[in-house]
Amino acid sequence: MADKDTFLHLARPLGPAPIGAQPSTAPVSVVIQPQAIFSILDHALRRPSDQDRVIGTLLGTRSEDGTEVEIRNCYAVPHTETAEQVEVDMDYQKQMLALHLRANPREVLVGWYATSSELNTFSALIQNFYGQQGDGTWPHPAVHLTVSTVPGQEIESRTYISAPIGVTAERAADSCLFIPVPHELKYGEAEKSGLELISSAKDREDRSQPIITDLEALERAVEHVLDMLERVSNYVNNVLDEEAEPSSALGQFLMNALSLAPKVDPSDIERDFNNHIQDVLVVSYLANTIRTQIDLSNRLATAALTLGTGDALTGEGGQRDGDRQQGGRGGRGGGGRGRQQRQQEA
Amino acid sequence: MTDPLKDSPVKAVQVEALVVMKLVNHAAKTFPTVATGSLVGMESAKQPGLLEITSCFPFPTIDVPATDGHQQESAANLAAAAPRAKANVVYQNEMIKFLREVNVDANNVGWYTSTSMGNFVHLNTIENQFFYQKEMNERTVALVHDVSRSSQGSLSLRAYRLSPAFVAAYKEGKFTTESLQKSGLRYQDILVELPVTIHNSHLLTPLLHQLPSDAPKEELSFPPNLAALQQDPNTPLPPLFPNYDSLDLSIDPFLEKTCDLLLESIENHHTELNNHSYYQRSLAREQAKITAWQQKRKAENAARTASKQPLLPEDEWQRLFKLPQEPNRLETLLNSRQVEQYARQVDGFTAGVSAKMFAVKSNLLPGE
Repeated sequence: MADKDTFLHLARPLGPAPIGAQPSTAPVSVVIQPQAIFSILDHALRRPSDQDRVIGTLLGTRSEDGTEVEIRNCYAVPHTETAEQVEVDMDYQKQMLALHLRANPREVLVGWYATSSELNTFSALIQNFYGQQGDGTWPHPAVHLTVSTVPGQEIESRTYISAPIGVTAERAADSCLFIPVPHELKYGEAEKSGLELISSAKDREDRSQPIITDLEALERAVEHVLDMLERVSNYVNNVLDEEAEPSSALGQFLMNALSLAPKVDPSDIERDFNNHIQDVLVVSYLANTIRTQIDLSNRLATAALTLGTGDALTGEGGQRDGDRQQGGRGGRGGGGRGRQQRQQEA
Repeated sequence: MTDPLKDSPVKAVQVEALVVMKLVNHAAKTFPTVATGSLVGMESAKQPGLLEITSCFPFPTIDVPATDGHQQESAANLAAAAPRAKANVVYQNEMIKFLREVNVDANNVGWYTSTSMGNFVHLNTIENQFFYQKEMNERTVALVHDVSRSSQGSLSLRAYRLSPAFVAAYKEGKFTTESLQKSGLRYQDILVELPVTIHNSHLLTPLLHQLPSDAPKEELSFPPNLAALQQDPNTPLPPLFPNYDSLDLSIDPFLEKTCDLLLESIENHHTELNNHSYYQRSLAREQAKITAWQQKRKAENAARTASKQPLLPEDEWQRLFKLPQEPNRLETLLNSRQVEQYARQVDGFTAGVSAKMFAVKSNLLPGE
């Protein structure tokens, strides 16, 4: 969804603001984390039936010079909108912000979102509220993110900052100039596995997916790779049969990829392979043995009393059990350490 | 116990994609410290027993100046104990109150925690879940997200509840050999795992189809040279699914770490057993003393009967001798459960790594 639009920023006449209190209107670049978008979409689904759009606050981090904004989190803010007026629950916004900052002290208020692409007078009002001095993002510009949530259409997101506009102070308070800024959606390494699972459900009718095991994930990845190899080899065969158009660049790329395969002696591979697989299997075997022993040990610990006839006898019985377990476990522990060393050698 | 899920009010857990993202983010941000938070949602109306987790929020971080090892430990402990801390209960209630205003399902349905390499079966987890599950019909679960395992392939997210038998035993607070025999509680029965499914909303599905952008559909012209090919803006990003990270061959560090943790658990088990056998020995010693005393008293009484003197009471030993307290077996049980967890994890790793190794071998030695 990374926006490929290009932006040209021109100097513009500034509104009547007191000298020295001019908020920065320098263009910023915005990075959005998927979590924020997910949250906005969730909010859009939960909007009251009589409202077209809902709004919320964006939280995130800002680089030191304020030119890069990363939107990490957001929360919904209740508001009502009629043809004449808009009402934002400022008290709610303030308290929720305080609650969020307690859990994420490093995040700051960066702006607000709305779940429709439309920009209107109310947008300007809310924008000025978020960008104001005191509770707002001042002296940095507030970022406005719009996410279109029209069913059946692509989800489109846009980001804006604003510049004051209007000839009188009263006009300036309820109007502003929205300046589009570039943004991109970025996900981190940690989120990848989560996104993987979430997107694996995207083609399913019921939109849900049970947690897959490592082995299943591996199987699917291997299948996918085989599929791609098939496509490439099809292409190469077609070129050889003079059915497809050859390309020297593609050929070179494939050559480079193929030359990455290491040249090793088959006997070396055989030896290393056998060593390694044995290590792995021994670890697995020992782990299972340990599991059995622990089970046994637990059973013996609670079974001791039923075998004995008197208190004194059971005491001894239990003690003997304990000794036996210790002996067995000592041996196992030793085995474990040995295997650890072998692993490090491998 | 044939079916541990049979008498549980929650039979399956459905997690909204938003929760997964929030959880993964929070866990990654605080790693290696444990991240904990609260889950909100509701029971499915269509399918009783299915718990829908629709949102979550993290608990506030506790800032303990980490200057030396001891304090770091206490910070980690505080973080792990966060779900049952009083301040967080207040925080949770307040947050839920606010969430209700924006139409979020405002019921607490449990808590989540992050862990590393399956190292989550300890007293803190048990106490937290017990705190949430005190009432028998409380529909709450513990979601456990394994950061280390998720980083090397597929997401590891599990939902647990305490078994009713364990809750009953924990309420009494007695974990002696005798009580364990009576209740038949085994370490396998402490935690009940619930199946987890991920659910996407209608709006999310189109977004996921946009993400990442597909390869262009129209015919492309061939790049003139290699450099142009590598910088081609049309190159599609690797898809989110399937994840090629799971093809990574370096799994040994994970195996090694698990083995280390396994050994550590065995050491703990060893200590517990030593404690227990120490208890057995001192119990035997005390009992031998009591028997000796009783015999002596009997002989004395026999002598007194012979000389027609009043008899001395024979149950005075209860005042004179004190039997040692049996050590709590809960720690042993949890430890055993942890060992089982590790062993299964090793199994999983070896299954994956041996498959990969055979693939590599036949790749390098074709024709064999």
